Amino acid sequence: MTPDHALVQRMAAGDERALGELYDRHGRAAYALVCAIVRERADADEVVVDVFRQAWHSAARFEPARGSVGSWLVTIARTRALDLVRARGRRARALEKAALLSESGFASPVAADDAPDRTAERAETQRIVTRALANLPEPQRRAIELAYFGGLSQSEIAAQLGEPLGTVKTRIRDGMAKLRTLLGEERT
Amino acid sequence: MTDHEWLALAAPYALDTLDGDERAAFETHLAGCGQCQAEVASFREVAARLAATAPDVSPAPALRRRVLAVARRPRQLGWLAAAAALVLALGAAYGYWRERTDRRALEARVAEQGELLATLLAPDDGVANLAATGKPPSARLFWNPQRQRVVMAVFDLPPAPAGRTYQLWAIATGKPPVSLGTFNTGPDGRLTAAMAVPAGLVFDLTAVTEEPAGGSPQPTQNPFLVGSVQRTE
Repeated sequence: MTPDHALVQRMAAGDERALGELYDRHGRAAYALVCAIVRERADADEVVVDVFRQAWHSAARFEPARGSVGSWLVTIARTRALDLVRARGRRARALEKAALLSESGFASPVAADDAPDRTAERAETQRIVTRALANLPEPQRRAIELAYFGGLSQSEIAAQLGEPLGTVKTRIRDGMAKLRTLLGEERT
Repeated sequence: MTDHEWLALAAPYALDTLDGDERAAFETHLAGCGQCQAEVASFREVAARLAATAPDVSPAPALRRRVLAVARRPRQLGWLAAAAALVLALGAAYGYWRERTDRRALEARVAEQGELLATLLAPDDGVANLAATGKPPSARLFWNPQRQRVVMAVFDLPPAPAGRTYQLWAIATGKPPVSLGTFNTGPDGRLTAAMAVPAGLVFDLTAVTEEPAGGSPQPTQNPFLVGSVQRTE
């Protein structure tokens, strides 16, 4: 199979089929992330089109040394999704919805109408990371999710949770350190 | 701060959750600290993997067609043409006034307008909309990587107070901001200006801060205008 970064090279050269292939490999993961952030499927469609538009136009500037194609797309997708949520003033609403789902945090489906036909690899990654996250103490997991999926700064998280800023900082720092250890162990 | 204390900011920085002041301070430190850079890179990998915990959702099949269309859709001029027209109009008005006084200055001005137009109309530019939260001022920035120029149009921004200036920053994710230059608006709160981009600089965000006259090597306050760069079709 063509490596991801070769697809990106072909995109940089104007090969539309490479864009299609990239979408087939990573579109679903990008879509899932965007849905988790914007929480409206119509908005998610717009954002995902934007994500691949940006990928198409910036393909020539992709540097394999700085990370994988997957994490490049995920970073674009997260940035774009948070831009939209902020631009439309939806953040408060999205957070309210998320707060209602506090038991399962942000990791709760937008709609339960989906056949689980994702690739085995993506399923495996999801299993590993979800398990690592579940191993964190609940307050640490919650703070990290509010930062990653909610796009909140530490002081915004403190305000949202009604906790002292110092507590939130400690949770994020300790939680990320533990997550790194857990994921590092899983990788081998 | 001791090195150890800086290191503690790597995780929240990688997660994009540091508040503005702390982030700016950390970025300044980060530029010269290999240990913190490695720590940030490591935590960025962890952060990117969080995306995998998003619940799986099937995109509609039509989405694939829309995605493929981004490679085919012709470039839309729209705002770009309007901005070019504005530049032309400004140039003509300015030129008329200038004509009677200094021909050489006029020629320089015309060349500058030509440069503005060439930057705006070249086929491979990026556009950033810089917005304050919900209100004026606003700015639009056009970036032409080939010509290593940006053109910015600013609206509704009162001139900086005495002894202060505005400064435009280009920011690549994870790197310290790079100054693209200082500027000030006219009494009408507007400005159209071209600025040089350092060779090879690639950025995804632009921001404007108010700085002491002459500008600062790094931002000294939170930006009041921020926009992410989108490549035009």
